[in-house]
Amino acid sequence: MRQMQNPRNNRPGRRRVYIRRKVCRFCADKSLAIDYKDHRTLRHFITERGKILPRRITGTCAKHQRSLTSAIKQARIMALLPFTSSHTIKD
Amino acid sequence: MKLRHYETFYLLHPDLSDEERTGISEKLQQIITSVHGVMVKIDPWPLQKLAYRVQKQTQGYYVVMEYGASAESIAELTRRLRLDEGVMKFVTTKISHEFDAEALVKAQDESAPPAETVEEALDSTQSTEEREEK
Repeated sequence: MRQMQNPRNNRPGRRRVYIRRKVCRFCADKSLAIDYKDHRTLRHFITERGKILPRRITGTCAKHQRSLTSAIKQARIMALLPFTSSHTIKD
Repeated sequence: MKLRHYETFYLLHPDLSDEERTGISEKLQQIITSVHGVMVKIDPWPLQKLAYRVQKQTQGYYVVMEYGASAESIAELTRRLRLDEGVMKFVTTKISHEFDAEALVKAQDESAPPAETVEEALDSTQSTEEREEK
């Protein structure tokens, strides 16, 4: 049983942070392409306010984050995604 | 003239009728085909809600147009899109520097079979992993 425990757990005042390894969605699924017209997929990568989510949160790799950023910006220009939530159309 | 593979994505006014929309689409196609361009596909989307107001409108019709055209003809297409009152927004993007019509036709025909082969490949890798474990 002692082997199973992480030695850090025994240290006082130190909480063990559970880190789940995030995998880039576009690397995991090669068939999933980044397209500025596909606003449903892009919506996963923006906040409620319409900001682009950072890589450290979504787990996207650097290469795909770059193309994702430009795709989101292009989708914003075409009114598929909001620039900011304050301009969104209320029902 | 050298053809490149382009895609134009434009947003039409929601008050336009079906005929007016097809009319705009045909006009744009004519611009491309008149200068030896090749149409690949036209995909009109149904009426869609916009993320923000455009020309005080909350909805609009999107159209995707994929084609092979020379770089010079894009200027004329852009000019036409700007002049047209019904077009609220548009964007033209280059998909590829080379345009190969035959390869595109082949890719469309083969779009279904590769998915199966990928699945088969996955199955085979899984089985090999299992064997290694044993």
